[in-house]
Amino acid sequence: MASALQAVTLPAGTRTTAPERRPALLILPALVVLAVFFLYPLVSMVISAFTDPSPGLGNFTWFFGEAQNLRVLGRTFTTALWVTVIALALSYPYAYAMTVAGPRARAVLTLLVLVPFWTSLMVRTFAWVILLQDTGVVNDLLGAAGLGPFSLIRTQTGVVIGMVQLLMPFMVLPLYAVMSGIDRRLLSAAGSLGARPVKAFATVYVPLSLPGVSAGCLTVFISALGFYVTPALLGSPTDALLSQQIFTQVNGLLKWGRGGAMGVVLLGLTLAMIALLAVTLRRGGRRVTG
Amino acid sequence: MPTHPGRLAGMAGVAASLLLATACGAGSAAPASIDLGSGPATSGTVKKGALDGVNMTFVSYGGAYQDGQQKAAVDPFAQESGAKILQDGPTDYAKIKAQVDSSNVTWDVIDTDAIWAQAQCGKLLQPLDYTIIDKSKVPEGLATECSVPAMQYGMVLVYNKDKFGANPPKGWKDFFDTAKYPGKRGISGNPGDSAPGPFEAALIADGVAPDQLYPLDVDRAVKKLESVRSNLVFWKTGAESQQLLESGEVDMAMVWSGRAYAGVKNGAPFAVSFDQWMPIMDSLTVPKNAKNPKASMALINYYLGAQQQAKLTELTSYSPVNTDAKPKLDELGQSFLTTRPEAASKALKIDANWWAENQEQMIEKWSAWLGG
Repeated sequence: MASALQAVTLPAGTRTTAPERRPALLILPALVVLAVFFLYPLVSMVISAFTDPSPGLGNFTWFFGEAQNLRVLGRTFTTALWVTVIALALSYPYAYAMTVAGPRARAVLTLLVLVPFWTSLMVRTFAWVILLQDTGVVNDLLGAAGLGPFSLIRTQTGVVIGMVQLLMPFMVLPLYAVMSGIDRRLLSAAGSLGARPVKAFATVYVPLSLPGVSAGCLTVFISALGFYVTPALLGSPTDALLSQQIFTQVNGLLKWGRGGAMGVVLLGLTLAMIALLAVTLRRGGRRVTG
Repeated sequence: MPTHPGRLAGMAGVAASLLLATACGAGSAAPASIDLGSGPATSGTVKKGALDGVNMTFVSYGGAYQDGQQKAAVDPFAQESGAKILQDGPTDYAKIKAQVDSSNVTWDVIDTDAIWAQAQCGKLLQPLDYTIIDKSKVPEGLATECSVPAMQYGMVLVYNKDKFGANPPKGWKDFFDTAKYPGKRGISGNPGDSAPGPFEAALIADGVAPDQLYPLDVDRAVKKLESVRSNLVFWKTGAESQQLLESGEVDMAMVWSGRAYAGVKNGAPFAVSFDQWMPIMDSLTVPKNAKNPKASMALINYYLGAQQQAKLTELTSYSPVNTDAKPKLDELGQSFLTTRPEAASKALKIDANWWAENQEQMIEKWSAWLGG
């Protein structure tokens, strides 16, 4: 999440004024809440992964020993990757349009992103169920255009469509935050030095927008990895993601150790990917600035 | 960074006591002091004011079903006994386990799947006290050590009348015959709940005699299911199955009778076939370490009354579990009652004991097949 925060860091020069002498005490309640409601459950989940029903690595050998688990794990990551790539492809031009639009058009574009964002995830997912079903609006429109019918719901396509729509604000907003800070005169400067618009855009604008891209991609990718409701409602059991398998273990079979182990695997792989991204970005960052 | 150890400890203390206070909940009358009266229990009754000052929580699956339970049995029981009863839900097996394992049980009476109740008897659920619960009007064999039926329904075959009305499918063999009856079929597909239904239907379709279903040959059932996978549409909740019927996305479906009724009532052009339907039921159970088991038993006893059961059926369309219950229903509602003799005689026999013993393996095999 570090990069997500970077995207909205205050402009250099502003300093938080210290109204009190012990700022540490101010965050104490937040820390207590975090410790009780986040850290404690997380630690007990990790412990149960190694101890329930008997101490050892049994839950992990089970997880990696079952071909089905590995298939679901792979599907979870590829789905999250697809969602991230498509969300980026849609959000980049959208955020760009927001930065060049006039104030009124920008307000409209912002509202279009935010209003669905304020609606409950559950409601939006159910809306997609209605829209995507075989006899739904999308297929009716496609049929009127002489296409289809396509089976959209209860397929991976349906899951990806729903997830992209739900996660787009998390891509658009960091992109916009970074893009609106880019000085567009740099593009004119590049042009005055002989760069064609496309070249100027690719070599000046895109690298400057990369912090927003990485923040958005990371947020969307990580959120997508843990999605539960949307794949459960828009996908078929055949498209189940890891979160749904965890639910089966925890709720259906009451095997909390196994559920915990699956959670630990997902958490470990996610952290590893963040670390990898952080390293690549730092290298890339050096190249850009250095 | 300097901190005041005293103040820190104080804040932690406040946080801890807040947590404790919420965990303990509001106080209730001590379980031992409850007097439910003398003499044998009669279902549908409770001694007036016997549970004054007692707080209880009734847990079920929500929706029209739980509303019906509340109106038919829980609220009248609260009024007569003096107990204060909270509604909670939906039933969540992981939550039950968490409460029992931590000895902090806040649920008193829980509506669960009957097979799950049988599998968890003595583990997460406690034996019922049949000196307080009168099960004499419950059909033979439905009440077990840890559970009484909450209502009865069935997994039935429904088909689109407009499409197959002239030559309706009869039984599960036709359900799996995609050449004779082309089209999509809805079946239950919740990976965490294998429940009787798909395996039995697949085996019948594959030629197994109804009286030789058990022990289920799961590999054979899965093979048969696999042969029609491209025609299957999986529903995970009752609401979803009803939606499939109403939107016309399937031409045939294996659904719960109550949901089929609701769909048809809303105008879905479907008809029910009771050929080889599979009886299933929900159960009322009491978790282990429940705070006030005597009060829980009293509520269950009241719930089983003929009047309460008749009203529950009128409100939910699920069939009553008291043989004296005389629900007043319209013709359509009547036709979906699984306890009618015409329907009852066509039922497949489901071996609940076998299911309870093998539930874990069944869920594993079922979720593995569903996951592709």
